[in-house]
Amino acid sequence: MNLVLYFMKEDTFWSILLFVHFLLAVSLLAVVTLQAVAVLMPARQMAGGFIERSPVPAASYAAIVVILYVLQALMGAWIYVKYRTYVRIPMEELRHFKTVGSFEFKEHIVAMGLGLLPAYWYFWQQPLSTEHTNVRRWITIFLAISVWYAFVVGHLANDFRGVGS
Amino acid sequence: MTQTLDVLDADRRFTADGSRAKGTPTAAEHASATKFGTFAITFGIAFALLYTIFERLNWPLFTYHPVSGRIDFWREPTGVGPPMFWYGWLTLSVISAGVIASIATIISSQWISGATVFCCVLAALWPTSLAALRLFIDAVSFNADFLDSIWIAAVPALIGAVAITYFAPSQWVQRAWTSWLLIVPIVGLVILGYSLESWFVRLR
Repeated sequence: MNLVLYFMKEDTFWSILLFVHFLLAVSLLAVVTLQAVAVLMPARQMAGGFIERSPVPAASYAAIVVILYVLQALMGAWIYVKYRTYVRIPMEELRHFKTVGSFEFKEHIVAMGLGLLPAYWYFWQQPLSTEHTNVRRWITIFLAISVWYAFVVGHLANDFRGVGS
Repeated sequence: MTQTLDVLDADRRFTADGSRAKGTPTAAEHASATKFGTFAITFGIAFALLYTIFERLNWPLFTYHPVSGRIDFWREPTGVGPPMFWYGWLTLSVISAGVIASIATIISSQWISGATVFCCVLAALWPTSLAALRLFIDAVSFNADFLDSIWIAAVPALIGAVAITYFAPSQWVQRAWTSWLLIVPIVGLVILGYSLESWFVRLR
């Protein structure tokens, strides 16, 4: 850490981290949303037994979602240190209580998503089990909601005191 | 194979006569997939349940003080700057859920699904019974403060959890096992979200 800070200012370092966090968030958002859409609108059975290809090969995204989710959680946990001292304290002083509360909930929803990742990974293993279509679908939707929520609230916190604010 | 879960799809990769179709896993792969499935599902349920409990009781494995960079074992709110408990709740939940999920891989499916129902019902009944006791204490005219105890509240909660686990049809208990994977995190989030109410009702 000290070595990095020798080459750049502390604020620049945290801004770079925050920007990487944002880029990872956009990637995760895209992948998990595509997968959620795919499970909500599965491939249709066409006449003559021909199954129309789904626009998104949902199963192939599972590994990317797991990797990106874990990476994002780790990045978020790192940046959270800066948030707690540099962002949350002035946020409370300026009485932005709803933003603080929303960010607190973000911690919880992300944690719940992390806990579901092993099961999510298991249910998306090939060959996909028809018996678990429902639970696979809802876990995917839960993860998509958690990612969307975290993205929006993270964006609000960034607008308060972050990159470009 | 008696320890495998019939709800897990790994069983379905084998043909009815026991022969293996082309591209289907070997018996060792099958057993390993089944064990991982048991681990993953149990971990998901246990993690959500424990995370909610640890957060509500404020039981972190450690406390991090971001200003001084100090890490204290368990809960240590005093120190320079604000304390951070989230890492501690998360770590303790991961470790505890990992231990529970590992144990689940070596016990029978019937026990796992029964234990899941028991733990989830107990987690719901215990605070409910404590809240009911407190309502009772407020309502009665005599001094009933001795009832305001989590251990007294545990008694009806335990009886209720045992009764529900015992009387619930075993087929339903086994079939509903994977559903807890969604019910527990959602209920947990409702509880945790409600606990944050004060942030949303404060006046500007």
